[in-house]
Amino acid sequence: MNWSARCAILAGTVAAAAFALATPAAIADETCLSPYTAALVKGQEAYLHVWALGEPGIGDESDKLVTIGADPKSKSYGKVVSAVSVGGRGEAHHMGFTDDRKYLWAGRLDDSKIFVFDVGTDPANPKLVNTITDFTAKTGYVGPHTFYAIPGRMVIGALSNDKTRDGVTGLAVYNNQGEFLSAHAIPADNGGDGYGYDIAINPKKNVFLTSSFTGWNNYMMDLGKLMKNAEAMGRFGNTMVLWNLKSMRPEKIFAVPGAPLEIRWSLKEGDDWAVTASALTSKLWLVSHDSKGDWQAKDVATIGDPAKIPLPADISISADAKYLWVNTFMDGTTRLFDISDPAKPVETYKKVTGKQVNMISQSWDGKRIYITSSLLSKWDKTGADNEQVLRAYDWDGKELTQKFEVDFLAEKLGRPHHMKFSGPTEKASRELPSRAALP
Amino acid sequence: MKSSSLFAPLNGALGRSVVAVTALLAAALPHASGEAYGALPPPGSYRLDHIQRVPQAIVLEGTRVPRLLSRYTQGAVTLLGFFYSSCADPNGCPLIWDAFEAVRKAVLARPALHYRVRLVFVSLDPKHDTPEALLGFARRYADSGQMVPWHFLTTYSYFFLDPLLRPMGEEILYNARGQEGGAAINHLLKVFLIDKDGFVREIYSNQSLDPGAILADS
Repeated sequence: MNWSARCAILAGTVAAAAFALATPAAIADETCLSPYTAALVKGQEAYLHVWALGEPGIGDESDKLVTIGADPKSKSYGKVVSAVSVGGRGEAHHMGFTDDRKYLWAGRLDDSKIFVFDVGTDPANPKLVNTITDFTAKTGYVGPHTFYAIPGRMVIGALSNDKTRDGVTGLAVYNNQGEFLSAHAIPADNGGDGYGYDIAINPKKNVFLTSSFTGWNNYMMDLGKLMKNAEAMGRFGNTMVLWNLKSMRPEKIFAVPGAPLEIRWSLKEGDDWAVTASALTSKLWLVSHDSKGDWQAKDVATIGDPAKIPLPADISISADAKYLWVNTFMDGTTRLFDISDPAKPVETYKKVTGKQVNMISQSWDGKRIYITSSLLSKWDKTGADNEQVLRAYDWDGKELTQKFEVDFLAEKLGRPHHMKFSGPTEKASRELPSRAALP
Repeated sequence: MKSSSLFAPLNGALGRSVVAVTALLAAALPHASGEAYGALPPPGSYRLDHIQRVPQAIVLEGTRVPRLLSRYTQGAVTLLGFFYSSCADPNGCPLIWDAFEAVRKAVLARPALHYRVRLVFVSLDPKHDTPEALLGFARRYADSGQMVPWHFLTTYSYFFLDPLLRPMGEEILYNARGQEGGAAINHLLKVFLIDKDGFVREIYSNQSLDPGAILADS
């Protein structure tokens, strides 16, 4: 029975519909979200949510979710709209939306707490609705880092473990209610090092990739001391893993030296390749399958002068998969690569955007770029170089033009790290009809 | 703080790390010979999480006599989807319907699965999708109803629907003033695979609504 026939059954009993269904279209985000995320913000983002690390002597000294107006037509443009302190400092780091985009999960790398904010009901004023404290007890892992939505669940990539506190770790799956479901170790044999960092799913290929960073012993160590510790410096991830999404089992391990971090699949329909940047070797890597269907990883470009360790910390791919923004922390530079040919990326633009720059996010249309400054509380620069800002830029295809800046120290907010967008939301429309309007 | 001095010691340590790993080749883990990467694993070879228990709710089928939803979500493997009969988006309810049709036909073709799989639709539009109105759909599938029952459920009102929608992550955007006076209900495409004990074991979206995967999971 086709759809017309089905509808014909009820002909005369129901009115014609105007429209229905708001599902995420194909593999897409703005531009680094899980492909299962609903309600992509393809127009002007209304708010930026920034997960900020508390700083001793600054404000209430607590980690907090800061929301900033991002719509130029709003009176709140470039201003702090709200800040929700969660209590204490636990190395606030990354965040991820649930599949319905109503909730934002935010993790801390030190105490492994996960905070769940309702950002869908009133994105200007997120509310802390749940705190998950059983992550380590349930999994044995430490440092919930990546929050990647799948239908009804959150896949969480950790950085470390509770026994050795090195980088051997795994993935955990929680349901959207915040209940632990399962844990999956990252392979530490057959060429694997067991380390983890980012997660990126390609649903159509039933695969996902993970990358690898370092463990609690390193990311909570003063960077100066870490640099002098040769043994510790040897404990960085050097692999990526291709997993079967359905079975959650690893299928192939790639040697990707030097801590491959963020992973971005091409968003272009029909493409099946992903890129990552290795932080310590300063390389762009391409993961794609060859003519035989076998997945391969190869380094395809250098970022800056690897000898100077510019430390590429974050990347952001354009919706058309033609461009890739790269932030290099040490030289405070935002770089643009033309990746029209992903096997031959070419740097086409660069600009010093701060004394230290870390995360970078772009709007769906690529016209707006946001950067933040903090890498890790013990790795950030010190003294006058410890700039802690969020900066917003317009991109006209040729030049980044700064539109506003929020100084997180002056505003007594701490150190800004990860960013997520919220669009303009008709608050009432997210709720069921009022009782008065109930049929 | 200068990057060159800060990371000077890194070059040596990093160099040793790189040398150590460059000896590694990409390693294939245990993987069936000839099987493509990312291939759906054989049925029964993998574990599905117990994602959540299906919440309790009062539903209607055919008449206005109240029934517990658990009557339709326990005792057999259940595929449950939300729909509404006036849904017109080709990427929405029709997509779910086509997937359910494919699963129904596949189950009918496999006698071993008869009486073990149940299909359930729950309407998001109780105002228009009355029990009487939905009987038309149910009758359409009555001939195979014993082997692969397909239930078309509704509720008295949104007041009764809400306790089911929210726990299932199926919150909706409702516009009572849709074109031509009909309801326009904006919702996520989600289909729930429920085990015989009433636990959701898989959730399919428009990225993963594959009848082959559903059958393998079942």
